[in-house]
Amino acid sequence: MTETHDPQLLKGVLSLLLLHLLAEHESYGYEVVQRLQAAGFADVLEGSVYPALTRLQREGRLETRLVPSSSGPARKYYRLTPAGHQALAQGTDSWARHTAAVDVVLSRPLPPASKGN
Amino acid sequence: MWFDRLRIERLVWSLDQQIYDLPRAQRIAVRREVRANLLEAAQDVGTTEALRRVGSSRRLAEQYLAAEFGDGPRPSWIGAIYAAGLAPLLLNFFLSEAANAYRNAVTAADPHATGTYVWSGVSGLQSAITYTFTDGAASSHGGAWTPLTYVLWLLVIVGTGRLWRLRPRRRPAVATA
Repeated sequence: MTETHDPQLLKGVLSLLLLHLLAEHESYGYEVVQRLQAAGFADVLEGSVYPALTRLQREGRLETRLVPSSSGPARKYYRLTPAGHQALAQGTDSWARHTAAVDVVLSRPLPPASKGN
Repeated sequence: MWFDRLRIERLVWSLDQQIYDLPRAQRIAVRREVRANLLEAAQDVGTTEALRRVGSSRRLAEQYLAAEFGDGPRPSWIGAIYAAGLAPLLLNFFLSEAANAYRNAVTAADPHATGTYVWSGVSGLQSAITYTFTDGAASSHGGAWTPLTYVLWLLVIVGTGRLWRLRPRRRPAVATA
């Protein structure tokens, strides 16, 4: 899947995606990016993900621990805090309501196009 | 291999220079994390692609600063600190050179000058300087900054650090139906 995504939409939903991925299992920055790309978000760049992780950590939704790596410097693993789990649940509900409302509008039939168009 | 590492270190160093407003421990943590992630990404996709995907250090720094301080304009403490330290050094150098020029002019006119000479100083920026010459050797006193100079120094600090952004902003009133 190599489709691109609207950067503005991605920006709004990136935190939710990160929370969900890290709720599945803890990861370090580059691994999170790889998992996002494997999930179809190939156009999400590291330069957006790393600061977003920092922001979530500052907001108390993620906590970190350093794990030594055999292939280089120690890796900083992120995992959810209780506040992070709560934010994920709220965000998921909010996203579901949002997409349901959008779907209602988008599923309405359109009038036939006029001849002039 | 060493050249690739150098390219990574260049980006990390450049990023580090632009996030000085972060607390020191956090700045170091950011530096280490970006370096570790970049090294691993470089092993996977090559250094050039890894650096491309992480973007410019300027944009990355901006996002880290926004993550810490929030979106929107913010002051630059490091800019204010640099201005506070460097502006007096530069100004004093300039004033000192001007004072030396006056003294040299006196001794050029009379290598064995003896007596008291008063120079009004750089207009507006400093008080008068009194030179006492004894057979061409000079001692001096005066030349202090004027209040205007202190005000200018303060303005340079505020301007460089964009400290007016510290001013609390009023939220726009919410219209009621």
